[in-house]
Amino acid sequence: MDSCRAVEKEVDRVLSKFVGIDGHTTQSLDDLIQYVSGISQELSVDVNRPEVSTTQQLILQQCCQKIKDTVSRLASEHKDLHSSVSKVGKAIDRNFVTEFNGIAQDYVFEGVEKQEMLNKVIVEHFLRQGMLDIAEELINETNIEIDPVAKEPFLELHRILEALKHNDLDPALTWSRVHRQQLQAQNSSLEFKLHRLHFIRLISQGPEKQQEALLYSQNFAPFSSQHERDIQILMGSLLYMKRGIQSSPYAYLLDTINWIEIADVFTRDACSLLGMSVESPLSVCIRAGCSALPPLLNIKQVMQQRQCTGVWSAKDELPVEIDLGKECRYHSIFACPILRQQSTGSNPPVRLVCGHCISKDALNKLANGSKVKCPYCPVEQSPADAKEIIF
Amino acid sequence: MDDIKSLEHATLKVPYEVLNKKFRVAQKNIDREVAHVQSSTTDLEKCLQKKESVQNVAKVLSGMVEKLKVLKRKAEESIKDEVEAAQACKRRLEHLKEFETLSPSAAVQWRKKRLDRMLVENFLRAGYYNTALKLAKHSEIEDLTNIDLFLVSKEVEESLEQQETAKCLSWCHDNRSKLRKMKSSLEFNLRQQEFIELIRNNKRLEAVRHARKYFTNLEEAQLFDVQRVMGLLAFSSSTTIIPYKDLLDVSRWQSLVQQFRFENFKLHQLNSQSIFSVTLQSGLSALKTPHCYKNSPDYKKADCPVCTKHLNQLARPLPSAHCAQSRLVCFISGEPLNEHNPPMMLPNGYVYGYNSLVQMAGDNEGTLVCPRTEDIYSFDEAEKVFVM
Repeated sequence: MDSCRAVEKEVDRVLSKFVGIDGHTTQSLDDLIQYVSGISQELSVDVNRPEVSTTQQLILQQCCQKIKDTVSRLASEHKDLHSSVSKVGKAIDRNFVTEFNGIAQDYVFEGVEKQEMLNKVIVEHFLRQGMLDIAEELINETNIEIDPVAKEPFLELHRILEALKHNDLDPALTWSRVHRQQLQAQNSSLEFKLHRLHFIRLISQGPEKQQEALLYSQNFAPFSSQHERDIQILMGSLLYMKRGIQSSPYAYLLDTINWIEIADVFTRDACSLLGMSVESPLSVCIRAGCSALPPLLNIKQVMQQRQCTGVWSAKDELPVEIDLGKECRYHSIFACPILRQQSTGSNPPVRLVCGHCISKDALNKLANGSKVKCPYCPVEQSPADAKEIIF
Repeated sequence: MDDIKSLEHATLKVPYEVLNKKFRVAQKNIDREVAHVQSSTTDLEKCLQKKESVQNVAKVLSGMVEKLKVLKRKAEESIKDEVEAAQACKRRLEHLKEFETLSPSAAVQWRKKRLDRMLVENFLRAGYYNTALKLAKHSEIEDLTNIDLFLVSKEVEESLEQQETAKCLSWCHDNRSKLRKMKSSLEFNLRQQEFIELIRNNKRLEAVRHARKYFTNLEEAQLFDVQRVMGLLAFSSSTTIIPYKDLLDVSRWQSLVQQFRFENFKLHQLNSQSIFSVTLQSGLSALKTPHCYKNSPDYKKADCPVCTKHLNQLARPLPSAHCAQSRLVCFISGEPLNEHNPPMMLPNGYVYGYNSLVQMAGDNEGTLVCPRTEDIYSFDEAEKVFVM
């Protein structure tokens, strides 16, 4: 953020100078125009004289001098601003990163085929965000082919979410009824939550809806075992219908946060049902990139200073560990605590009899004939007893 | 180093270049009008020396007033332009600074906007102008992206594709001093192309005239090119002799488009790589694990971006994340494996989190089904694993 502030300081300086010079220029030119018009008016009184008088001549000469001085001063004053303006540019170059050589390669996304893949990723991102018209435009401009069948689930999800945004539960209810079994298999309470919201809406509309609410509560039957407590609360709220839910202990049921929550629940459950990630993969990648770039740029700088750029050219792994937070950990990665290396197919993790976990290579190095001592506890064992494990 | 510092150079540099250009234009305008005023003062002085009639002097004087008024108008207009350009820089700075003070939910929106900004830039670079415009409008980021710059280039590129040089030449003219500093050969190449087109249409005399007009006083390095292109005069436009055949190839127009695009980026100090591509590459690298490339459902994860079909392909040449400390997550729940959720090994060697196994056992009356092999075990068979 300091970088922004440094640039802002220069921009503010330029702006204030511009404002200053603007006022100043206008003022001095106005004065000058008035002065010259004054002289011109004086002259016009004796316009029929063949010659200007000596006094007039003097005045006019002075006038010329004054005009010359003023305008050339104005021009040079403006010119002097150049250093302030170029300071802005220098501040930007100094405070922001200008080149990414070594960190990113040109060829990675080059070529027709790769461009097409990248564009497909972007189209999918737009579809997911519900920006359908932009996705269409990109498909048009890039001439890529997207299977309409692949688009359908996105369109459906988007339609349902749009309806939820307008507090319309019906499309979501229909969808969750169709997918009830799959939803239950993944322990989703989506359908119950939708019914619950519908019920809450009914009771919030006052006593005349009491009958309808009672009738609707039959929809809770299939969920009675899982959501017993919730259902009791909902039914309990009926007691306050006449006096108004708003002033009852159940007022929290009416909180609008429920509507925001239901959209999230729907997206999460529907995405996992369709085997898609909840978040757009592109968003996740870019977010990861935004956190990865600063440390990568730092390490690059250090490496250049110490002239050990060779480390970077080992292209199979990044030179530093980048922690993206736990929500970006999708795979278990086992790094051998002895060898400090990631496990691979030929060097898998093994569990010793005592339960401690090291890599197979480390085990072989530690083994002494038919015996190995666990590096973490006193247990001695045979290397053959160690078991390969998969996380 | 933070992400703003790493990513936003172009966001600020391009409006700065606009400001700088506006400044130079303003200086030129003011200088020109000042010169006019100066010359009319000289006129007035001459009148006085020649002792001309009052009427004539008055006429010169009122002309002077007019010129001063013009100067005033021009100066005001130019400075207004400059202030606007500086304001544009300022607006972008304000947007970047906002990020620091945002609440977490607003920061999510800000990041979304950042992605959209990157995408707009990426589209503009790739020449998908309509998509770029639509996206910028949809996300209300017109002010924050360099659309204007690219719209100018759109026009020029389109005209080049229609084999017209006028727009590109006038662009060259507008940016002459900077192009000269960059030692750009764009203008020369355009003139060369014009010459080739004249040959193609069999207007050889005109071609010679064209050459005389534009190919004199060139740099030495260009002499060879000139000679080669002049050689065309001796051949018919349907020649199959190399290099003349290549010179007459229509694809040269396409390379002019490429060259123009490149010089335009350079002129505005844009990297040849888009921020989008750089960020995506480092993001993919930071997420990439060897597991993403094992062809077995034991490892694939629906949520992992690098495991998705297209990104998986795109990330193939990139380095993968470095990891010196184990980072274990439960295959079933995705929760981290640690002292609160210790890893447990089933007899088949597959490891899951304690919490998931407890839940599974609770749901299935004490039996465990390995989700990857479908082997069935009892809960007591699961053994603790200690990972340092």
